[in-house]
Amino acid sequence: MKSLLPFALMALVAVVAFYAFPYNLAFLTRVVITMILVLSLDLLIGVTGIDTLGQAALYGTGAYAAGLFAVHVWADPVAGLLVGGLAGAVVAFVSGLLLMRTHGLTLLMLTIAVAEVFQELANKLDWLTGGADGLGGITMNPVFGTWQFDFIGQTGYIYAVCVLFIVTAILKVVIGSPFGLSLRGIKDSPARMRAIGTPVGRRRVAVYTLAGAVAGIAGALAAQSTALVSLSVYDFQVSAEAMIMLILGGTGRLWGALIGTAVFMAVHEVAASVDPFNWLFIIGFLVLAVVYAVPRGLIGLPEEIRRMVGRLK
Amino acid sequence: MNLILSIITDGVAFGMILFMISVGLSVTMGLMRVVNLAHGGFAMLGGALTHWAMMQMGIPFLPSAVLAILAVVVLSVPMERVLYRPIYKMGELPQVLATIGITFIMIAAISFWLGATLMPIPLPAVMQGSVDLGFRTLPTQRIYVVVVGLIVIGGLFFLTERTRFGIRLRAAVDHPGTASCLGIDTSRIFSLTFALGAGLAALGGIMGAELLPIDAYYPLRYMVLFLTVVAVGGLGSITGSFLAAMALGILDTAARYQFPEFGTIFFYVAMIVILGLRPQGLLGKA
Amino acid sequence: MNKTNAWKLALATAVAVGATQVARADTIKIGVVAPFSGPFAIYGTQFKNAMDVWEAQHGKSVAGHKVEFIFKDSGGPNPSAARTATQELLIKDRVNYLAGYVFTPNALAIAPLINQSHTPTVIWNAATSVINAKSKYFLRTSMTLPQVSAPLADWAYANGIKTVVTAVTDYGPGIDAQKAFAKEFEAKGGKILDDIRMPIKTTDFGPFIQRAKTDKPNAIFSFIPAGPPAFSFVKAYTDNGLKADGIKLIGTGDIDDETTLQGLGDASIGIITSQHYSQAHPSKMNQEFVAELKKLHPDAVANFASVGAYDGMHVLYRMIEAGGKDGAKGMKAVIGSSWESPRGPLTLDPKTRTVTQNMYIREITKGPDGKLENKEIETIKNVPDVGYPTK
Repeated sequence: MKSLLPFALMALVAVVAFYAFPYNLAFLTRVVITMILVLSLDLLIGVTGIDTLGQAALYGTGAYAAGLFAVHVWADPVAGLLVGGLAGAVVAFVSGLLLMRTHGLTLLMLTIAVAEVFQELANKLDWLTGGADGLGGITMNPVFGTWQFDFIGQTGYIYAVCVLFIVTAILKVVIGSPFGLSLRGIKDSPARMRAIGTPVGRRRVAVYTLAGAVAGIAGALAAQSTALVSLSVYDFQVSAEAMIMLILGGTGRLWGALIGTAVFMAVHEVAASVDPFNWLFIIGFLVLAVVYAVPRGLIGLPEEIRRMVGRLK
Repeated sequence: MNLILSIITDGVAFGMILFMISVGLSVTMGLMRVVNLAHGGFAMLGGALTHWAMMQMGIPFLPSAVLAILAVVVLSVPMERVLYRPIYKMGELPQVLATIGITFIMIAAISFWLGATLMPIPLPAVMQGSVDLGFRTLPTQRIYVVVVGLIVIGGLFFLTERTRFGIRLRAAVDHPGTASCLGIDTSRIFSLTFALGAGLAALGGIMGAELLPIDAYYPLRYMVLFLTVVAVGGLGSITGSFLAAMALGILDTAARYQFPEFGTIFFYVAMIVILGLRPQGLLGKA
Repeated sequence: MNKTNAWKLALATAVAVGATQVARADTIKIGVVAPFSGPFAIYGTQFKNAMDVWEAQHGKSVAGHKVEFIFKDSGGPNPSAARTATQELLIKDRVNYLAGYVFTPNALAIAPLINQSHTPTVIWNAATSVINAKSKYFLRTSMTLPQVSAPLADWAYANGIKTVVTAVTDYGPGIDAQKAFAKEFEAKGGKILDDIRMPIKTTDFGPFIQRAKTDKPNAIFSFIPAGPPAFSFVKAYTDNGLKADGIKLIGTGDIDDETTLQGLGDASIGIITSQHYSQAHPSKMNQEFVAELKKLHPDAVANFASVGAYDGMHVLYRMIEAGGKDGAKGMKAVIGSSWESPRGPLTLDPKTRTVTQNMYIREITKGPDGKLENKEIETIKNVPDVGYPTK
């Protein structure tokens, strides 16, 4: 019962946001999509202890796969999500066979390299991807044949929120399963897990593939809501910002991923609209404030406050 | 034959710049175990300050460059004390977040102060033009780059192998716990090494401005490039950084001569192959 | 939510946006979407400076309408950010007009939006011909790449350049520029000796220059998007002493635009580029434009992005003058109209909705003030967007 509470809270926030910011639904949809991407990263960094900076490779491939599928095969949104997820998973599995053998800085750099190679390939294959102009001509059918994507972005928002709920719920179940527990074991001590007979390497590839599917779904959603896919989906910035948001929120419990994304993007949005030239100052100070005040991320804030109050007594 | 010589000359010049900027990053990452993403920021500050001193103050190149490097060194000491010290004991992730925050503030500060334009650094007359090497011509500036690079590696070699500071530094990198038990003032070593790394980055930023032009966004634009050198070289290894910078410089240059249309892919595939074969980098400790 | 409901909402917004209000002293809102931060922030700065000049010369209101600008940072080529920003401007801020847009994918991503909201959108930079074909609400005051590269080929051949190595950035616009140049140049009888494609993220251009040098061409033709890479490329050309070997550098004005020109040094004298604007354009209007710019922002320079925005302001003000909040009326008034700009005479071509303009062949020389300038040495009159897709 207690595990349902955060979901109820999430639903409440989603509904309140819908009514409180009826004119910012496009932005809120982007936040929700980014949340899904950051969740996929938390599965790796927070849960399993796999530090990567290459989520863009998985996210971008999901976006292009969904975009191409919509243009050439079938413009059904849900089918597009599945295609995007599958594409992300395939890329993650194949690249994971090499990547998951490495750790630390080497792993970070290799994941960056994979994303860069994909970006250059997408640029080269311009007959397929549209190259630097982007892949256009995406017109999505109504969701389940009923709900048309509208100008204000209501359908898009509700659709993205539903996907976020499903993804979060699935990931919660996965994390709580024996498989998920073995992932946490790998994070704490790979050697011990190996000693008790867990195939650590295979588990790492498995979780990377799962994260690939989730990131691919996020990419597919982005492709559908923007109706255009450009080379920027493979940008290093995509991976780096996802990592910043995750650490900002706090790793390992999924909720941190959601909070970090919401706070980072909201602060960015407000700061950039107040001063489009110098908003980076605000983001920089926010990030520093969090590191020095709550190193474990925003999710550790209540505990930190409790401790400070306790000390005052 | 000419082609090979050309590749080597251009590659070595490019590699020297990569080396100067990255070696400080490698040593501080190896020594302090800090993923310092703000390192490129020191190179940018060095370049930006030189540009400012020359263009706005009318100071000639050499004094401007020296002043800029000194300013970066002076700035780096309190930064290490105040901003970096608290994060040494934190995990890698808060370190990433903290140093990226520092990078953001550096970028915002420079673009607020000097704008978003390119900041060219005019070269003194002696560095302008080109030199005839017989088989081709080479920009004179590159000769200076190579000479300064060699002085830097020579100086670093002397510092680490022949001085007390070097012995302590190596001890602190290899066995931090033991080193401090033996009464080595690791905190002082941290400060000095950090300042040295920042100064070298500033030097590299200034010398490399012909290839990697200075603008406010510099630290993020080239972050991956510098980290690649460190990863390929192996953390904490000066020789490793040197070898990696040369190897990557020459490989990248060769790709540009031979198949420019696949240049980017070639660079990253080469990196994947090297790191796939040697995950700890060329000279990193397993 | 069902289909009709969604449509009602969309329609309501569109009506609110396009509603004609006769009331005097009302406020017309214009959304400006451009990179104000990040690696391409220079565009945002150039835009803003040029807007300041326009407002200083023409005021902040026109025909009794107050004009208010709302700035949105799109970062780099990021269609999803550009689309979100535009959507918010349309729905939340209820802007009457849109402007800015530096990158092709960003402009393409908002085409469906303005098709629904009927919002006139003035493109200040994005330079792919196909953009304007995607929505009839796009007006463009910058240029398109074929406008720039083809005239240069004519000039080169007529001026003794018979063999060329092309070296362009390896992405869509670079390849388009190369093709437009090569087609024109070969049609005249010139010869392309080598076609070098340089990766987008290249930093060291020495190798490309060396490779081009071995072919001993009369000239190297180059297109590289303005910014640090273009700067490094020209530096590599000057530093490697190709000028002494009799190999000229020619290219689009992106490689020596005014924001980087002074940094190229005296070695760059003699480089030939073609573009629609030079800060050194010898007209009274341009001198006033540059003087006002220097008065407001002493360190600023005027470049192609500046006039893109300045003439964009002209188009916006004329539309407001004619139609107020009625974008359709405003568009009718400006399409096909001609006016004098700091870059020369302009006409907003009714067919392509891109300005028809003079192209200038410019040579880097030392100006009277001792600074480098792009001196116009030849004018190709009234070049339309030749790359517009014909159906």
